[in-house]
Amino acid sequence: MTASTAGWPLLLRLGLRQDRILAPVGLAVLVLMSIASAAATPGLYADQADRVRAAESINASPAIVALYGPVLDVASEGELAMTKMTVLYAVFVAVLFIAVVRRHTRVEEETGRTELLGGTALGRHAPLVATAAEALLLAVALGLLTGLGNTVAGLDLVGSLAFGALWAGTALVAAGIGAVTAQLSASARTCAAYAAGLVGLLFVLRAVGDTGPAWVSWLSPLGWNTQLRAYGEVRWWLLPCYGLVAAGLVGVAFRLRSRRDLGSGLVPTRPGPRTGSPRLADAFALAVKVHGTTLALWTVAAGALGVVFGMIAPGIGDLLDSEVAQSIIDELGGALVAAILSIVAVLLTYFAVTVVSHAGRDEEDGRAELVLATATSRGRWFAASATLALAGTGWLLAVTGVGLWIGYVAADGPGIGNLLVAALAWVPAAWVVGALAVLSLAAGLRWSVLVWAWPAAFLTLGLAGDLVGLPGWVSGLSPYSHVPSVPADVWSWGSAGGLSAVAAALLAVAWWRFRERDIG
Amino acid sequence: MTRPLIEVRGLVKTFGAFRALDGLDLVVEAGEVHGFLGPNGAGKSTTIRVLLGLLRKDAGEVRILGGDPWRDAATLHRRLAYVPGDVSLWPNLSGGEIVDLLIRMRGADPARSRREELIERFSLDPTKRGRAYSKGNRQKVALVAAFATDPDLLILDEPTSGLDPLMEQVFNDCVAEQTARGATVLLSSHILSEVDRLADRVTIIREGAVVESGRLSDLRHLSRSRIVATLSGAVPDLAGTPGVHDLGVDGAQLSCTVDPDGLPAVLTALTAAGVTALTSTPPSLEELFLDAYRDRVGAAR
Repeated sequence: MTASTAGWPLLLRLGLRQDRILAPVGLAVLVLMSIASAAATPGLYADQADRVRAAESINASPAIVALYGPVLDVASEGELAMTKMTVLYAVFVAVLFIAVVRRHTRVEEETGRTELLGGTALGRHAPLVATAAEALLLAVALGLLTGLGNTVAGLDLVGSLAFGALWAGTALVAAGIGAVTAQLSASARTCAAYAAGLVGLLFVLRAVGDTGPAWVSWLSPLGWNTQLRAYGEVRWWLLPCYGLVAAGLVGVAFRLRSRRDLGSGLVPTRPGPRTGSPRLADAFALAVKVHGTTLALWTVAAGALGVVFGMIAPGIGDLLDSEVAQSIIDELGGALVAAILSIVAVLLTYFAVTVVSHAGRDEEDGRAELVLATATSRGRWFAASATLALAGTGWLLAVTGVGLWIGYVAADGPGIGNLLVAALAWVPAAWVVGALAVLSLAAGLRWSVLVWAWPAAFLTLGLAGDLVGLPGWVSGLSPYSHVPSVPADVWSWGSAGGLSAVAAALLAVAWWRFRERDIG
Repeated sequence: MTRPLIEVRGLVKTFGAFRALDGLDLVVEAGEVHGFLGPNGAGKSTTIRVLLGLLRKDAGEVRILGGDPWRDAATLHRRLAYVPGDVSLWPNLSGGEIVDLLIRMRGADPARSRREELIERFSLDPTKRGRAYSKGNRQKVALVAAFATDPDLLILDEPTSGLDPLMEQVFNDCVAEQTARGATVLLSSHILSEVDRLADRVTIIREGAVVESGRLSDLRHLSRSRIVATLSGAVPDLAGTPGVHDLGVDGAQLSCTVDPDGLPAVLTALTAAGVTALTSTPPSLEELFLDAYRDRVGAAR
């Protein structure tokens, strides 16, 4: 053991201890989703011919292919069953692993805990080695559990292990991305933005390649997920590629770490202004200032995502005509644009979540106390975060809608209704979830972990509801389930009004609770 | 005599089963520097948070600047400035931006404040981002924002933690300037000597209740000195000498605490015995608490 990595086993144990809830819950949700998909598929199709027809309809729709990737072996039951899991859910795998890596690298550095440990007999590279080791352990666990789970659920063993391996591979590459991006900026949030941007880029590359020039897909490890053909004729030689890319990324992270000081980023921090702008004078202006860059990045991402999917979506018109396709659409949870939006709406709700959870950290660290000791009332401080969270999510959905519309018109899509309205239809549901996050903050710091859990819980509930046939009232707990699949369905004032009323009621309760409670 | 700026009577604050404040009294008169002393965890910060309307009291009376801190927090806060013990800043905002933000949030105008002068005096770099400041510099950001305007009341919670001695001097000067123009200061600390320099009156608390309160000079045992002497000759027997307490002899070393009245006699005796080394220190807060605790246990018996 060299001096620069001394002490990493201890750090690994500390990391696992810190992740004793996040890691098992994260892995369990992913594995269960995979098992549910595997188990549900046989019941959905009468026979082999039915399955082939379904797979072919998926391949015939560029929008679905862009979202999920193509089914390369139409005769394989496993490939069809894992349509959503192969790429789209692999993104959730990536998010989990990036979060874990960031948590133990940059976040620890930013809070100064690394410095605390740096004073002990720990090498400079020990945190990175320990984090990489933890990521490897978790990836192997994820791969094995998914492989075995899918086998138990009725898919063939070899294919299931290959599928587990591809998820593990995605996890390792994501950990590498997390390790590299954690070196770039002194701010953990900026690092997260870089990582999200990279994963987004890999997803778009794959979407472009799968619907256009095929070679582009091969540039993205997410594209390999499809090309591996886990349940078809497996391209085993692809598996080591994930490991090589991950090892390369971690190697780069080590080089970058050697070149910078503890606590600093590779991208140097520019000096700030000597004086504050006169507009930066109240809680709302402060919230806008703190989250402005993040909102701008989200806006660009939402707009770009909208345009890309808008351009791919025109295939929808042809698809809606055929009867088989219609049934596919129903199985997949609504019309294609609605299917895209149903995912995007949950992702964009996370903007509200970041704003609300940031307010929670402000309170925990004492910044809220600093503000509340001025003439800023509780009400203003609370309203600033709640307003920015909900207005920001609404704005982002509107941007997505406009992006969809621009892309759709640019690609000469047939008239399927107003795409801006389709996007805005999700706003009330996103508000309900955002309001639940606000309520969790208002309930007290003990509940702040729930802030992050709501959107993911409802997404899981919705998908699990579809797959394992939960009773309607259980799936109905998710606000997202009450959104009409515009443009396939018509806009419903009842749903929009009802959800908005629920959001308003939740905010009122949150406000009432926050007024009465202790700060900090 | 005007009404006290801070009046706390029988304040109780519990966190679950833990009784953080247990019938605490605190009176701060207009224009004074009031030292608020206590060991870590005594309830100083909890009291201050109740005074700022951040925490809800469970029982007792709390008035600050003539108002109810829980109900009228925002209005009252226009007239006060607060510096927390552990300042946390917004990572992406520069120090200058944060100073101006805090001043504006109190309803004042940074351009017409003493911010520039104070930034100079505290040698603070206002262009650094919040995340880049050391603990002492974060403290300075909050101090500059607090001293830049003319609040009626300054609430300073262990404000010098992390400041070097030079900056402590600047801090002392700033407090003196504030009181010279008539401001009232509540200064919490766990270091007796710091409060000794600045405060007119002190309140000493322990486990959420007041141990002592009054003028520093009136608290007789606070002015006791701790004497440690190494002697070359025979160690004199000081047990009977008036004003001598806590006497201990270890070989050629003698230690005791002495009231001001007893000092001449003790020094004479020590000189006669041939002093080779002598230290005299004011008693630490911890010793005072030990005394107070011992007295209470003794009385109970």
